[in-house]
Amino acid sequence: MSHVVIDLKAALRTFLRNKSTIFWTIAFPTVLMLLFGAIFSQSSTKYDLYLQNQDQTNGKATYWSDALITALNSTNAFNLQQLDASINATDYAIDNRLASLLIIPSGFNDTANVAIFTHGTTKANVTFVFDQSTSSAPIVRSIVASLVDRLNFELSRGVEYMNVQDITIAPKRFTFIDFFMPGVIGMTAMTTSIFTAVSTSARFKENGVFHKLATTPLKRYEWILSRTVYNVIISYLGMAVMVIIGMTVFNMKITLDAISLLMVAMASLMFTGLGMIIARFVKDPDGADAAANVITFPMMFLSGTFFPLSQMPQFLQAIATVLPLTYINEGLRAAMIFGQSQQAIFNTVLITALGLASIAVGSAITKWEEE
Amino acid sequence: MNSNVAIEVETLTKRYGDLTAVNGVSFTVDRGEIFAFLGPNGAGKTTTVEMLECLRKPTSGKAYVLGYDISKDQANIKKRTGVLPQDFYTYERLTVKETIEYFGGMFNKHPDVDGLIKLVDLEDKKNVQFKHLSGGLKQRLGIAVALVNDPELIFLDEPTAGLDPKARHVVWHLIDEFHKQGKTVFLTTHYMEEAEVLADRVGIIYNGNIVALNTTDKLISEYGKRNLLVLKKTSSRAVTAVEKLGIKASFDDATGDVTIHLNHALGVSEILRELTKTNISFDELQLKRSSLEDVFLNLTGATLEEEGHI
Repeated sequence: MSHVVIDLKAALRTFLRNKSTIFWTIAFPTVLMLLFGAIFSQSSTKYDLYLQNQDQTNGKATYWSDALITALNSTNAFNLQQLDASINATDYAIDNRLASLLIIPSGFNDTANVAIFTHGTTKANVTFVFDQSTSSAPIVRSIVASLVDRLNFELSRGVEYMNVQDITIAPKRFTFIDFFMPGVIGMTAMTTSIFTAVSTSARFKENGVFHKLATTPLKRYEWILSRTVYNVIISYLGMAVMVIIGMTVFNMKITLDAISLLMVAMASLMFTGLGMIIARFVKDPDGADAAANVITFPMMFLSGTFFPLSQMPQFLQAIATVLPLTYINEGLRAAMIFGQSQQAIFNTVLITALGLASIAVGSAITKWEEE
Repeated sequence: MNSNVAIEVETLTKRYGDLTAVNGVSFTVDRGEIFAFLGPNGAGKTTTVEMLECLRKPTSGKAYVLGYDISKDQANIKKRTGVLPQDFYTYERLTVKETIEYFGGMFNKHPDVDGLIKLVDLEDKKNVQFKHLSGGLKQRLGIAVALVNDPELIFLDEPTAGLDPKARHVVWHLIDEFHKQGKTVFLTTHYMEEAEVLADRVGIIYNGNIVALNTTDKLISEYGKRNLLVLKKTSSRAVTAVEKLGIKASFDDATGDVTIHLNHALGVSEILRELTKTNISFDELQLKRSSLEDVFLNLTGATLEEEGHI
């Protein structure tokens, strides 16, 4: 273990002395966030949500359904599109490939009243129909779920239930910077880890550093462990800077929990492994850098870093579903911004699995010497 | 294995597909000696030394370093040996001092960092980052790094390749110091002079085969040309006088010099006596000793250039 610590110290010392690495790891994402934040902070990022209110009397929304719709509107997170109460909304969603549809069933108002009267032994349910393959649906679902949970909570507690319509039940008002900040963290973890791994693996091999290390008792796995921990630390450093800027400059409310920290660590692990794999197959260091660019550049734009996937054409959205950065960005967004860590569990598990597989393959194929 | 033997190699072979880089070489290196592997680029020097350093697996054959089998006891070999690779390179942004500390840590040792820095004469560069060092200084740092574990045996792969003559002599001096400390040195080189000046024994490797192995003197006496006696600005009659003694000689019209190929039967004194007797005068007399260059030429039919090409 002492070898790992010694090498890690050397790597961190090198980082602090390398101005260009510091620029790309910290200064560049900082400038990006400040710039994009300043430009777009006034505009809201909204998700499409289709809504069918079946709970109407003489063509008018019942009291509680109207309260729920008002609450949805007040989140400022949705472009609400109302569907006619007479159509089969589920069929409509399938035919029109809708990402998210919320149905307020007939009798919702009465059930809500019973719920209040019985102190929560009955619950007034809404139906959320969503396309799991779309990237926006889990986020929309998390916001709606949060809203309905809190509404139910307020009703069952039985305090001031007549005033439910006035409760701000949305987590918060979402602006572009809320969307953008987790994307920058995901992007920085990706670029830092992949380029560091490519650079060390390909360049150390070419200039003979691996050759010298191989003559010492340092084991290959110890070196890989040190460099992986280094990448995680640097990714956390990038994350810390983004969080501090978000909170101080943009007054963001950010949740930092185990899920978001684990997600960043696993993202770093995955891209470190990917970098090692690239360096193994592209032997020339410049070629390895180019290959890393080919992978990271499109992923940066197609994984919902700079703008929501729902704003992209369908075929690009389909591509995004196979890009790991999509799951990292959305997981971080759910955990850090929407405070919905449970929504990020699937993404975190997926990235953890990919991270472990990637680092295992990368470690196995990284050689210090040609046989 | 004899305890006086540092390295024992038995029919060691390395093949890459159809190419045989090292072809069944066998030799031993005694403890405390400087052993040089001399040969052109691509002869198999580095491949052999890297097999002994446990960096490459042999295709066949056996080798023991300090009594340890290179295919089984890599950890013990690495702990007890120091290695200066060809074109030593390390983390660019670590200073001289930090580099020595780093590699000392890899051997779980706390080397005398200042002592090593002093030994390689880098005291005024100890806080300079590796990337700012010249080629010669990098090699000297590489030598200090090779000593962090106080090794019994030091492998030096082309330790002075690409260095200017002054830097080369500094490295030679360091190698000589190790020798005085009783350490065993295995060096590879394509510089004739380096092998001749430093090595107790020289193995000449060519196309993956050891074509000769002995002390420099014995190699020269066995494979070198005979020593030459040159009479500067003399008469062509000197050729006739010397040939009367049964010794081969030749006259150069352009310079007026006579070159006499000495043999062991008759020495310089007999030749001078004959020249005096026949009243032949000359401006100057030079004795040219045969060198490893002649040995190499004789054994391989090729001349080894400064850059290591033939």
